[in-house]
Amino acid sequence: MHRLVWLFLALFFVAAPVGAADKVYVNGIDANYPPFAYVDKNGKPSGFDVDALDWIAKKMGFQVKHVPVDWDGIIPNLLAKKIDLICSGMTITAERAQKVAFSAPYWEVKNVFVVKKDSPLTINEIYAKPLTVGMQAGTSEAKWMADAKTKEGWKFTIKLYDSSPMAIEDLVHGRIDVAAMNYPPARDAERKKPVKILGTFGEVEEFGVAVRKEDQELLAKINQGFALLKADPYWEELIAKHLNQ
Amino acid sequence: MQEILTVLWEAAPFILEGAGITVVAVVGAMFLGLGIGVPLAVAQTYGTGSVRRMADLYVWFFRGIPILVLLFLFYFGLFAWIGLNLSAMTATVLVLGMTSGAYQSQIVRGAILALPQGQFKAALALGMSRAQAVWSIILPQALRLSIPGWSNEYSILLKDSALAFVLGTSEIMARTHFVATRTYQHLPLYLLAAAMYFGLTWAGVGVLRLVERRVRIKGYGETA
Repeated sequence: MHRLVWLFLALFFVAAPVGAADKVYVNGIDANYPPFAYVDKNGKPSGFDVDALDWIAKKMGFQVKHVPVDWDGIIPNLLAKKIDLICSGMTITAERAQKVAFSAPYWEVKNVFVVKKDSPLTINEIYAKPLTVGMQAGTSEAKWMADAKTKEGWKFTIKLYDSSPMAIEDLVHGRIDVAAMNYPPARDAERKKPVKILGTFGEVEEFGVAVRKEDQELLAKINQGFALLKADPYWEELIAKHLNQ
Repeated sequence: MQEILTVLWEAAPFILEGAGITVVAVVGAMFLGLGIGVPLAVAQTYGTGSVRRMADLYVWFFRGIPILVLLFLFYFGLFAWIGLNLSAMTATVLVLGMTSGAYQSQIVRGAILALPQGQFKAALALGMSRAQAVWSIILPQALRLSIPGWSNEYSILLKDSALAFVLGTSEIMARTHFVATRTYQHLPLYLLAAAMYFGLTWAGVGVLRLVERRVRIKGYGETA
């Protein structure tokens, strides 16, 4: 029995990562953010960002591994060197840029309101009525919304969720009146659930890859890689495969 | 219906893999907690002065802070600060284990206090040292009495382990969430996760009951 205990303990401490022989960069993804990053039906990380980064890694000659990380903890994970970069639909904001270094923007998204398919709500009503709006916690759009709401005196209350699909789920069940999120996951939801996109809000957001500030070499590789990717026919292929369904 | 079954069928191996991770985390934390909890309980019951105060402080600290906060505090704070490069899994086991140690100490302490007080004194009167008395008279009885309390602790720990995803340990809940996000089949998938937790609780409690029966001393306690 005692031997078993020691075996268990030994296993855990040995399992800690060993020194890097051949450096594999770890990309932290928000696996609850289709179509940019998600886990496919075989349990493999997949999505626009995953495919794009894989292509860049191959082109630029480095190795990359994608690991799902909790969105709330993704920047602490980067700073604590548990992951090396975040290529997962992260919006470039001034606040985040104080902690991490961003690549050049590689994609732009709008923010949209989503309502039930049969909802009679209009955009103006959303701002004027005491409704409940569901959003993903810790996102740039949730922060924008909270700030703008105070400034403009909008009547709705914001309800925060772990991920946008959970907000969609609550919307379908009628617990909230509106869900607000980036366009691509909204489009994904529109295809899978009885909901519709009502209109846009906020500012156009730019996605960038985040790395630790001292990792300028990696950042240069990523910037160069995205430039190459955008000039390659594979870029259009990726967009067609993931974003224009 | 067909679609739901397909989703469940495809998701099952992926989520089951998460169940394996959950089991390793929980079993590891249980053993670590046992290693911490028993000395703590002894220190709290028989310790004097600073030893006892240290044990009290430990229990007070780990029981007073939510596990989610402890996970953050240790993984991103303390462990990183002292330069300890632990994998998410190791950190999960350590934090869950240290927390469980505080709770397990109270299970064992309760068991020690449940024993007739005269036994310890009698052992000393027979010439045993305090350590000897605790080791050969008190603990063998107290640990046996603690087993029902452990099955409780196991089932609590099992459910607490779902918090480990903040560190990136993809256990049952995190994986279920990933699949639900992609397929929008939240209800059937969470039912599947619930069934897995149910199975794990049932199996764990069953194992502990088996242990309880195996280590029972014939005739002991039957007339008490």
